[in-house]
Amino acid sequence: MTELLQNLINGLAIGSVYAIFALGYTLVFSILGIINFAHGAVFTLGAYFTYTLVVGQFENNGLIKGINLFPAGSPFHGSAWAFAAAALIGAVLSGLVAVVIERLAFRPMRARGADPLLALVSSLGVALVIVNLIQILVGAESYSFPTDIYGDLKPALIFSLGGKLIVVRTVQVIIFAVSMVLLLILGYVIGRTRIGKALRAVAENPGTASLLGISVTRFIIITFFLSGFLGGLAGTLVSTAFSVAGPYFGVAYGLKGLAVIVLGGLGSIPGAVVGGLVIGLAEAFVPAEYSAYKDAVAFALLFVILLIRPQGLLGRVQIQKV
Amino acid sequence: MDFLQTYGFLIVTMLQQGLLGLSLYFPLMAGQLSLASPGFYALGGYIAAIMLTAPQFAGWRDALGSWIFPVTWLFSALASAVLGVIVGVPALRLRGIYLALATIAFVQILQVLSLNLSITGGAVGLFAIPQAFGFVDRWQYIWIFLPTVIVVLLFAHRLQGSRVGRAFRAIREDELAADAMGIPPTRYKVLAFVIGAVLAGVVGAMSAPFLNTWNARQGTFDASIAFLAYTLIGGSRSMWGPLLGGALLASLPELLRSLADWRLVINGLVLVVASLYLPQGIVGALGRLRRKAPPQRPVTPSTPALGDTP
Repeated sequence: MTELLQNLINGLAIGSVYAIFALGYTLVFSILGIINFAHGAVFTLGAYFTYTLVVGQFENNGLIKGINLFPAGSPFHGSAWAFAAAALIGAVLSGLVAVVIERLAFRPMRARGADPLLALVSSLGVALVIVNLIQILVGAESYSFPTDIYGDLKPALIFSLGGKLIVVRTVQVIIFAVSMVLLLILGYVIGRTRIGKALRAVAENPGTASLLGISVTRFIIITFFLSGFLGGLAGTLVSTAFSVAGPYFGVAYGLKGLAVIVLGGLGSIPGAVVGGLVIGLAEAFVPAEYSAYKDAVAFALLFVILLIRPQGLLGRVQIQKV
Repeated sequence: MDFLQTYGFLIVTMLQQGLLGLSLYFPLMAGQLSLASPGFYALGGYIAAIMLTAPQFAGWRDALGSWIFPVTWLFSALASAVLGVIVGVPALRLRGIYLALATIAFVQILQVLSLNLSITGGAVGLFAIPQAFGFVDRWQYIWIFLPTVIVVLLFAHRLQGSRVGRAFRAIREDELAADAMGIPPTRYKVLAFVIGAVLAGVVGAMSAPFLNTWNARQGTFDASIAFLAYTLIGGSRSMWGPLLGGALLASLPELLRSLADWRLVINGLVLVVASLYLPQGIVGALGRLRRKAPPQRPVTPSTPALGDTP
């Protein structure tokens, strides 16, 4: 019972990050019908941006080693609010990078009416550039956020249930809460506001939307910004729970995010959320003796869903029209 | 022989990577993007490495002598074909991006397995794989890889003109129309995928002795990107494209050695620029240049030929 509850808590925390990260893929996919393979690199960037703001110092191997970008007196040190501000700025910067990626790797393709496969390749190219630039600038080391980023909050709440202990880390609560709040805001924006209505129109049919006076390019830019924002914030959240594990650490999450969106249903926003939570929970319930196989769980689920319900848990069946 | 001593390894690597590029070409003939080749390449290599080093196979090795090497190729081909059907059928019933995503998942699952199973040597991998046919120099592997390249090219050429090749092309151009004409798309897409899988598996089995050691780094997502780059930069519409792309990009690290850390950044930029400006790949661009060149006639300096400007 306690074990079940503990797994549930761990699974929901990591699953909620998978959800907001995968939403970044979904937003772009639902509008352009393309998977942005640079999303994993933006996730990495988010973590590095926030780390730079909060700690500001890198060691040993990069070009900017030993330069103290934001020394101890800078406003991002110390309190939980300062950390929150740094995470927010990190996410905004990631969103801006995603907009630049759109400009460089996607828009020229669209203008030429190129094969969608080529956009996939060029986004992979962008990811390769970003990841290796990070490596050149700050080296390949893994960094951990200082333990006091949440100010005076206790690092964990420990309950006793029937003589066994349940540990709820503060990080987990924050991750889950932030993710849920973001999902609610996003759901409101997309479902209830004029901007959301326009976004849905562009996703449904860009041609008709532009005839109705919606600037398609503008909404594609907004979509990429939102996608990058979610990706960057997910990167920060994951790295506070574990660590900023080198320039390549977003790649693994990027691939897992693909399993999430296929599981939930390509292009489905609720699907990305459900898919993320399901994969997070499935990983948390992997027995300890098989923990080495944990990273294969998401991908195994992808095959299972392709076999039994190819449109995904919440996806619509696509009818191919001639 | 000095030339072969110095460049032999590079030449064999170029052929080997060209073959891996070709393993993506077959599914692409039917319009399917597969990123599974590193998985089958790793699988083939592991099968060969296990058969060539594991004590359980000592009896086979004694009995077969040098014939053990072709036998490892055969087993790798069979295993790749079976696994190719298992992976291909669920993913290829669907249209669009699903095969790419499913094959990414396939490569990840195989990587996790090979890192954790004892038969694959875990994270360390398998080593001290004996040299094929008692070769003493690396360049001698050219006697394996060059004939393979020729056989694969001949096969691809014959395939293109055959009934199956035409079915592939019909599916690539319009799957629905092909279906309406009585071509079962799933069956042909799986066939195209399995041909690529078998090729990658056999190349893996040939490469394990060549590289002497085999580990989980052989089958990664990075390798998927690399093979995809070979195919698209070389050109995916002609069998020469992936071969040329693989050979060129495999020699790139050698050429760019002085750039050290910036090499991968440049690799990424090449991918972006090539997908923008060389959508048909190098071979496609060359073909277009040749078609655009005007018929032979005297050209006055005031009217330059179209083909002169790149």
